[in-house]
Amino acid sequence: MFSRRDFLATSAAFAGQLFGSPQNSKIPAPDLEKLGDVALREARKYKATYCDIRIVRLRDQRVGLRLSPERGTGKTLAVPNVAEDSSFGFGVRVIVNGAWGFASSPIVTPAEIARVTGEAVIIAKANAAIQPKPVMLAAVKAYRDVWSTPHEKDPFSVPMAEKLDLLRRVTEEVKKNAKVFSGSASLNLRSEDKYFCSSEGSSIQQLILQIYGTADATAVDRENNVSRTRTYTPTQASAGWEYVPEMNLEENASRIREEVVEHLSAPPVKPGVKDLLLMPNHLMLTIHESVAHPTELDRALGYEANYAGTSYVTMDKIGKRIASEHCTFIGDRTSPRALATVGYDDEGVKASQFTIIDKGIFRNYQTTREQAHLVGDKESHGCSQADSWATVPFQRMPNVYLQAGPRETTLESLIAGIEDGVLIDGRGSYSIDQQRYNFQFGGDAFWEIKGGKKGRMISRVSYQARTPDFWQACDGTAGPAYWRQFGTTGDAKGEPTQINSISHGCSPTRFRQINVLLTD
Amino acid sequence: MMTRDEAQKLARKVLGLATFPECQVTITASEQAYTRFANNGITTASLNLRHTVAVAVTREGRSGVMTVNDLDDASLKNAIKKAEELAAIAPPNPEHLPLLGAQQYPETHDFDERTANARAPEMIPHVKTIIDASISRKMVAAGLVERTHRVTAIANSAGLFGYHASADSQLTTTVRMADGSSSGWAGQPSTRLSQIDSKQLAAVAIEKCGRWKNPQKLAPGNYTVVLEPTAAGDLVRLMASGFSARNTDEGRTFLSKRGGGNLLGEKVFPEFVTIRSDPFDPRQPSSPWTSDLLPTSAITWVDQGMIASLAYDRYWAGKTGKAPTPTIGFGFGAPAGGSITMEGSNATLDQLIGSVKRGLLITHFWYIRPVNPQTLQQTGLTRDGVFLIEDGKLTTPVMNFRFMESPVRLLKNTVKLGQAVRVRGLEGGMMIAPSLVANDFPLPSISDAI
Repeated sequence: MFSRRDFLATSAAFAGQLFGSPQNSKIPAPDLEKLGDVALREARKYKATYCDIRIVRLRDQRVGLRLSPERGTGKTLAVPNVAEDSSFGFGVRVIVNGAWGFASSPIVTPAEIARVTGEAVIIAKANAAIQPKPVMLAAVKAYRDVWSTPHEKDPFSVPMAEKLDLLRRVTEEVKKNAKVFSGSASLNLRSEDKYFCSSEGSSIQQLILQIYGTADATAVDRENNVSRTRTYTPTQASAGWEYVPEMNLEENASRIREEVVEHLSAPPVKPGVKDLLLMPNHLMLTIHESVAHPTELDRALGYEANYAGTSYVTMDKIGKRIASEHCTFIGDRTSPRALATVGYDDEGVKASQFTIIDKGIFRNYQTTREQAHLVGDKESHGCSQADSWATVPFQRMPNVYLQAGPRETTLESLIAGIEDGVLIDGRGSYSIDQQRYNFQFGGDAFWEIKGGKKGRMISRVSYQARTPDFWQACDGTAGPAYWRQFGTTGDAKGEPTQINSISHGCSPTRFRQINVLLTD
Repeated sequence: MMTRDEAQKLARKVLGLATFPECQVTITASEQAYTRFANNGITTASLNLRHTVAVAVTREGRSGVMTVNDLDDASLKNAIKKAEELAAIAPPNPEHLPLLGAQQYPETHDFDERTANARAPEMIPHVKTIIDASISRKMVAAGLVERTHRVTAIANSAGLFGYHASADSQLTTTVRMADGSSSGWAGQPSTRLSQIDSKQLAAVAIEKCGRWKNPQKLAPGNYTVVLEPTAAGDLVRLMASGFSARNTDEGRTFLSKRGGGNLLGEKVFPEFVTIRSDPFDPRQPSSPWTSDLLPTSAITWVDQGMIASLAYDRYWAGKTGKAPTPTIGFGFGAPAGGSITMEGSNATLDQLIGSVKRGLLITHFWYIRPVNPQTLQQTGLTRDGVFLIEDGKLTTPVMNFRFMESPVRLLKNTVKLGQAVRVRGLEGGMMIAPSLVANDFPLPSISDAI
């Protein structure tokens, strides 16, 4: 419990000053190292066998604009939303008597760090009473380093007027068709300044930047009581402001404007078993739910049994086929511009890439330092992450991508091989069971494929499958020219729930004979 | 934790820094303590402190919002400056309303000091009870016990001030067979940690796990179902967003009529269906003010099957000549709100099961997602115990199913209610929900998950 005096008169140094500019140095800021040292010294005093501290400053800027009709007059109103959050604090982890303890605080002072380290020790000692086996950490090298998301222009330094002007142009474009009821667009900028040091000797400062944008169009058919929304979501990226023009928000606004109107009167799908052609901005979420989550080792071992669940990819599946030979999945925290790309994870493990599924054969789980020995590994795959200074780092997925197919496989050649199928674009409803077997996904827009040709838009589509059958039914993915990665920014796991951002890349991919459903 | 006086002092300081004519301050402080366990051992435990100050400033309809958690004078000054900079370049918001003046907020919550301050000594015994019981049956337990203590204060430059402290707790556990052949779940949220009955929760989860062993495949299709209160709450609470008056008027909810108009005053559900939001119910915490900062009061949404209210926010009420609806968590697309109550009956779960000739008992649901936001059709899966009911008795454990159904149709097809208790779904939604019996519940595919 922090005291009332602390709450009202915290003397924390300005976070901005504390973190300085990491791009200019390869050694973390001296003030950060001094603060980190307080936790390590205190933990040694309490005979902790391990200690780490993360000092984190998070910033989140949201800019949005909605154009919608005023009741009564029909006049179009532009409703803006401009907000920014900033959060600064630290969290300390210790191992005492073989058990973890964690405590955190928003008051970043040496005295508070010492006090909170003591709290973490008290918690660890209490936990040790019900601890079947002591925690074992895989070896890690000690690093003293500074890492930053490669970027040219700090997105927070860009004038707000420039951001609003972009959104105004996008929403006006969306509203050009009178049949569009409302249009909206948004930009979301995030930054995370993070300092990590541990009793293993590491001292690491990082700056992670992320940019998201959306544009959407909603159309309403009052006579038939139907409404549809079409969303354009450009690749969410770890990048600077220089990436924003590549989002092509304006260029795609006119497309979604016409497609939402078409979707409103599109005929319903005829349900049944069909082939699917899944575009990267849709398949990314299927990969996320049915490949990335089930290959988390903590799930496979039962550590998430009470909430996120366990996994159908049990330990006996290592070396076994769980997908077709077209499917090679890589876990990667180094992919350019991907959301889970970092220099080091939250245990000081250097970012790397590793094979999860090799031509359909399951090879590796995602791991952290305390998990590596459970699968006979000597090192962690660097998948430890916390969503804030206030939360405990635990196993979170890296970027997981499906490797592109052969160069000669094109989108057109995949479509040409479909007699009766559906092309699905964008994210819709998604749901999967707690062992990741039975899933059902919708999409944002759907097109009929008949006789090898993409035809008219259709509506009310969902598909349902059993994960191992679905990935065995994959018979082709387009070549590298078609490969795109997309992010998901609200991935929930753990108790209390933490949120994570990751990217999943793939090319358009074909699946044979999948159960297609008609929804409301 | 921050007192009313301290909150007021901090709010005054922030308001005093603003140069724009309208300024609103929202202060939050929270302390969370939890112990998490899995594989019959504690895996993590934590004590988290957080606080934030959000300032929203407006001049000539142009608004900016800045949230910070540094509370020294320099940081607060910087927050105001930043919010005013954001507002200065934002376009005017045509839906902006003037600030509300001073309000009288009701006391809504039975605050329990012991729950607010509980730490490991109060929580670890619950964990030990569950783990010991599971080990004695050669089963494996995972779960979470947590408590939160929250303070929220609001103030604005028109003289409004409100302060609210709440405490809440919960214990959930999943008990599995060591070989993964079965799983049972039990959970209890409570505003008083002392009322959480870990022995009973362990007994329920262990009984479910033992009974559900080696579930059998049953053909997909429409079934009569008995939903336990948590399962019923998982779906019923998702109706909340459909009561938005604005979305309904704009033709985008299940209460919109074809060609215009709405179903207010019409009987949509059986007469035993009554749904209210009641911020004064001591069983669940609720805010004393709405998102528009009006004092909350009890609202009946569905009265004996009839649609009794739609939710008007201040803006839409002004546009339509109605009074704003003093509600939180209903009608504004915020189904996780904690003050929803669906009335039940005195019937026990056993009596509901006894009334069914052939059907399924469902413990709870998982990964529920909207399929159609207008009809509120949802999909998700059963989890941790599904049982065939034959001639009023549980006979066979059955494999999990995926469902595809709207809570609107579920309640239309409901034939009987049981006792209502406070529930909290796996994905966080809370309400007071009864067990219920409903016909024709669509379960179109089987899940292999245990």
